[in-house]
Amino acid sequence: MTSRRKGLAGLHKAYFDIVQDWVKGSIAAGLLPVGTRLTVASVADRLELSRSPVKRGLELLTMAGHLTRDERSGYVVGNGTQAAPHAANLFAMPLPDLAPATGVLARAGWERILDEVAEATAASIPFGIYTISETAIGAHFGVSRTVTREVLSRLQERGAIGKDRASHWIAGPLSARMLDDEHALRLLLEPAALAATALKVRTLLPAMQARLAKAAPNCAPEDIDLIEADLHDICTEDQPNRRMAAVLMHLRSGRRVNRLFATHVVQHDESALLTEHRLVLDHLALGNAEGAAAALRHHLDADHARTRERLKVLSVFEDPIVAPYLTRVG
Amino acid sequence: MAAPGPGLRIIGRSELVTQPTRDRAAADLGFPISFEMIDSIDGLARVVTRPDTFDLYHQWHTVDLIWTARCIQPIDLTRLDHGPEILAAARGRSGPSRIIDTVFDKLFVQADGRLGSSPTHHLSMLPLLHGVDSFGYLPGLRDLVGSEAESWGWLLDARLQGRVAMINDPVLGMIEAALAVEATRGKAFSSIGNLTLDEVDEVADILLHKKRIGHFKGMWSSFEDSARLAQRGTLIQSIFSPGVARLRSLGQEVIVGTPAEGSRGWHADLCISSEASGEVLDMAYAYLNWWQNGWAGASAARQGYYATFPARVRQHLLPGEWEYWYEGQPASQALADPYGQTNIPAGHRREGGSHAERMSSARVWNTFMDEHTHIVHRWRAFLAA
Repeated sequence: MTSRRKGLAGLHKAYFDIVQDWVKGSIAAGLLPVGTRLTVASVADRLELSRSPVKRGLELLTMAGHLTRDERSGYVVGNGTQAAPHAANLFAMPLPDLAPATGVLARAGWERILDEVAEATAASIPFGIYTISETAIGAHFGVSRTVTREVLSRLQERGAIGKDRASHWIAGPLSARMLDDEHALRLLLEPAALAATALKVRTLLPAMQARLAKAAPNCAPEDIDLIEADLHDICTEDQPNRRMAAVLMHLRSGRRVNRLFATHVVQHDESALLTEHRLVLDHLALGNAEGAAAALRHHLDADHARTRERLKVLSVFEDPIVAPYLTRVG
Repeated sequence: MAAPGPGLRIIGRSELVTQPTRDRAAADLGFPISFEMIDSIDGLARVVTRPDTFDLYHQWHTVDLIWTARCIQPIDLTRLDHGPEILAAARGRSGPSRIIDTVFDKLFVQADGRLGSSPTHHLSMLPLLHGVDSFGYLPGLRDLVGSEAESWGWLLDARLQGRVAMINDPVLGMIEAALAVEATRGKAFSSIGNLTLDEVDEVADILLHKKRIGHFKGMWSSFEDSARLAQRGTLIQSIFSPGVARLRSLGQEVIVGTPAEGSRGWHADLCISSEASGEVLDMAYAYLNWWQNGWAGASAARQGYYATFPARVRQHLLPGEWEYWYEGQPASQALADPYGQTNIPAGHRREGGSHAERMSSARVWNTFMDEHTHIVHRWRAFLAA
């Protein structure tokens, strides 16, 4: 608990603020000369951050006049009236690294707790119904009741938790119908998202395909995590439609069920999943966006059928280990 | 790996694998067997996650679930004495196998690893026994409902307030409650074996209300409990045929309902743990073949259960037993239950008729519904109310 408190002490900054500070600091120190072209991808890679906070940070810097939107691509240091823009390899420049502590933890306290509570809750409800204790969350994360309430209210807004008649916070159970509903949404959105990014991801494919080729049908859950992230997160990440990407990010119940199944059940056989993933990536490698979308549709359907069966298996578990602030009530 | 020492570890239910059957198996097979009787679905998590803790599992409406978890291994048809018979029955779906179609639906391991009805040489389970269940009632019930036709609706009938009992298992209980709600409301569910979330809520709300106004006298978890409830003034309850046999052995007259709405069908089968191998696997197949040879099926017949291949059971039954249990004829003599207690008086005729007639009344088969978690949640609230 102490270490968590310590960790939280310096967590008042969001990622996009860190990006802004880093760019401003580097400009001030003369490390990023006027005219340097920055792209979301190059800054995200350099800082090892995901792209959306970087994008937001760069946009804010542009609005503040530190950067100028480049007509060709990305942003240029300065107000655009000085030197001609030039591309730069940010790794080759003597730029400061982010302090390690700012990596995962550098966000508003409630925001990080929100993610963790959201994930812990979502990973519990396939087993049944849970109450969520405000006091226990406060103790677990070492935060005030105000922060705890903020977190739980946001989860309620998302529809992830609710209140029962006695006004207790409550979550679950994950029903087959909820899986059906999510599946229907994914089937509409994800193939479209993939078709939109199909041509952008080709350079990423060899590593993904190598991972698939190496995976055995009963490979470790952690390996499957990477394989799932390859197709379902990374391939659709660089999405022109940000709202679609945001919606997709919350449609992960099926994946959680599969993850829990692989964790708790000894004999899991993922050969069908591996074959289906290969098919999608093969189409992407050929530059066939429509084919990739069709193969993804097939995979989503097949995976949904498996997930429904697996949810039934999870439903017979008596006392799965869950986060300490969750108590099973049904 | 399987058993640390010699011997076979078998999980079953007490009414499916009765003491006489356990004793006989141990005596006939000549190797040590340890039986563990688990009479609820509570042990299922262990079966699913710890296949190293058992070698054989007498499964009961869980086959798709345990196959999904791969805690059981495919049964090699060529190692079964009567394998060809199973194949023939599955191909033909004729004779006795026609009335237990459901048994064959998920019997064969398909090329893609899923279960299906197309015959292959690998089985998910060895089908052993099947039957239909409904409710049992005491003659006194007629004083309250007159001569009207038997119906599942009686379980919720206000005239029987305080005299009704139900099984406390959520899987079976929800099916029976849904049959009762259908009968009461005169409205059919779209798929009574797989209720939607809203339908589960509808049934659960009615049960909860009935419980709160004192409609139920009790809930039972084993056939012994159900027999005790009948002796303590319960007029009608969901009942297993061993419960009926027990009551009759105790001299209590009980009538098994043949409701117009149909019955709840079930089958019980044998599955081999995914971890069984070597010598233990040989013993497992010996036990499978022992069950197939007919003695155990004949013993089970004496409490009202049917075997998948009745012909081999017949040679272990007296002609009078065969006629009563399988052909639905009046008992030509007094008949005994599996424990040797006389419980069927001469002249008694089994409710529902012959094997074929009774099985064709199966309206719905025991199954884990898709919304099982929700069902369990609502059911627990019902039990706790």
